[in-house]
Amino acid sequence: MTEPIVQVSPGWAVLAPLGLLLFALAGAGLNGALVARSVGRPLRSGARAPIAEVARLLRQRRQVTIAADVLLWRIGAGGLVVVATLKILVIPLGPWTLADLDVGVVWFNTMDVMIWALFWLVGWGANSAHALVGGYRFLSLAVSYELPLMFALITPAVAARSLRVGDVVAAQQDLWFVIWMPVAFLIFCGSVIAFSSWGPFATAVGSDIAGGLLTDVSGVDRLLILTGRYAVLTAGAAFAVPLFLGGGAGPLLPDWLWMIVKTALVLAAFVAIRYRVPTIRPDRFAEVAWIIVLPAALLQVLVVAIIVMGS
Amino acid sequence: MGVTSLLARWASTCVHVLIVEVPGWDESRMLLEAELDRRGWRIALSPADADLLAVCGMPGVELRTASDLLWNQLPGPRTRVSVTTPVTLSALLDAAVAHLGDDSRQRNDAWVRSHPVADKDPTADAGEHESMVHDGMSTEDADHGGMEHGDMDHGGMDMPMPGGIPLAGGGDDRDGLEMDVLHVPLGPVLPHWPPGLVVDCVLQGDVIVSAEARVLEASSPEEVPTTAVTDAADKRRRIVRLCDDAAKLLALAGWQTAAQTARRLRDDELLGVDITDHVAALDRLRRRVERSMLLRWSLKGIYLGEIGVGARADTGTAPPENLASVDIRHHLIGWLREAAFLAGTSSGVQPPETSGADPAREAQDALAALPELLRGADLGTARLLIAGLGLDTAALAQTHEGTHD
Repeated sequence: MTEPIVQVSPGWAVLAPLGLLLFALAGAGLNGALVARSVGRPLRSGARAPIAEVARLLRQRRQVTIAADVLLWRIGAGGLVVVATLKILVIPLGPWTLADLDVGVVWFNTMDVMIWALFWLVGWGANSAHALVGGYRFLSLAVSYELPLMFALITPAVAARSLRVGDVVAAQQDLWFVIWMPVAFLIFCGSVIAFSSWGPFATAVGSDIAGGLLTDVSGVDRLLILTGRYAVLTAGAAFAVPLFLGGGAGPLLPDWLWMIVKTALVLAAFVAIRYRVPTIRPDRFAEVAWIIVLPAALLQVLVVAIIVMGS
Repeated sequence: MGVTSLLARWASTCVHVLIVEVPGWDESRMLLEAELDRRGWRIALSPADADLLAVCGMPGVELRTASDLLWNQLPGPRTRVSVTTPVTLSALLDAAVAHLGDDSRQRNDAWVRSHPVADKDPTADAGEHESMVHDGMSTEDADHGGMEHGDMDHGGMDMPMPGGIPLAGGGDDRDGLEMDVLHVPLGPVLPHWPPGLVVDCVLQGDVIVSAEARVLEASSPEEVPTTAVTDAADKRRRIVRLCDDAAKLLALAGWQTAAQTARRLRDDELLGVDITDHVAALDRLRRRVERSMLLRWSLKGIYLGEIGVGARADTGTAPPENLASVDIRHHLIGWLREAAFLAGTSSGVQPPETSGADPAREAQDALAALPELLRGADLGTARLLIAGLGLDTAALAQTHEGTHD
């Protein structure tokens, strides 16, 4: 029914970061609107807040702390947007994809491991106690979410008998994977929120350590990190669609538009959850992640594998 | 011209404000926060995030030094205001925006900062130290006030000292592994922090090995506005304080929407909005806090021990059987319950707990117990513990005045 995925010319790759940034801006706008509502201001003024924030950070001088490891610090700050862009290369937009890798799922996983390094560099580079603690917190969180995330990524691949993202989409012709692998979907969503240092998993940038990773970052560096967080969140939301939500499948609209609509909905859900739940402390979460979440992920793979072998 | 002024205009709609609160001036800070919400401005978590430094109250010498250090850490464009009276608040902030948007003045400021030696300071070493403080933005000892600047910088001369800071020494951590030891003062300016409190910590990783607590005071205790900025009655002030403490604790627990609700209730109370529906709103918030499984799990096992439990006895609930098992979540619920109880009583009735408890004594006990309480806690837990104490640093300043007499 759906046509095979075609790999478009690399020239189109310039559109990838552009689209990503538009999504990131929309996400930030939604976030601003939600914040505005919570303090009783008009939604519209809140939705414009990201633009004001960008202007503010562009005007702000970038400052450097004493004996900062400036090179590593800047790599960490600038790297997030790059990693997010690399992540979305393997996501098919309807019939088109920029890189039809036969290990697309693993590619995504590789990129999210890169985030470990980037956040750690941001924490390390500042030569400041609070930022360093932010880095520690992110790593301890990462140790908890990464393995469950890997198994959550593998589950759809097992069902599709392929690591190619296009094949995973094709395998959902009859039934979206979210229906029969809900545990993997939930773990995936939680992990996306965690690797974006977002919402309940935002302890690395928590207000209790004065912004943690962000404590000493100002000006354009801060802009890059904040944009990067929205970008990796968007990339995660976009990857949930081919993996669990049937890719571009849907009535009336063309495939590529469904991709965009579904991505927007998942992203909106991620943004909406941000302030609504208390923080999940990394030290507490480790226990739950290893004793409950990881076995649940393994069980999900097992169930899926048995079903696939049986059919 | 076109682009820069456009950027300046856009930027002026979301100014980030770093608030320095002087003990005893909490109402000024609350009024400022309410005004920031009204304008859609944000509260900065650190000086690097701030455009505007707002000092609420009249700081004493040490606190003034700390706020000057913070002022040097604002990246710029920057401006500072001193908030002491609510009357001029709006005009003050309007003037601050104008100053922030004034490109030529900001450029001038930036130029002066990057040429510190060109200042008319004649003594060479003083100039050098000055420039060091200028650049000393939030390195581990200068972080947030960096009160311990001096004794950190002039230790072991033979060690490599990148940027004038000695490398961290090693030490055995609680698991017997060697780990770097950092000396980090927490406070006096941190988000959701008791005003003026400084906790000098020895950190390994994010675990506090040892801690000492002290309070930086207002300029002179007589100037602390005991009658306060607004003319709220005692009972109201108590409700405001309870809501404020609850908002801080909720914010530290990362639950923004609940913290925002508590803050809004606080502001309504402070500005004297009709009191009757507040009981219901406070009860709703309390039930929401009680119901949240995630909060329960997140705050589980964070105990204050005996400190501060006694005072909350008479709020219409039976005291818990085992005081030691009361975690800070129960404190939080107790605060909200007390606030609702106070809001519910008719205005003639005195709040029950003011008769017995002495806030100054209570605060002093809490301060004395802090080092023991924080030892072995990680930073996140330590912040929650301190917030759970509901430490009244203004009351401490008043006892100080008493001992001076």
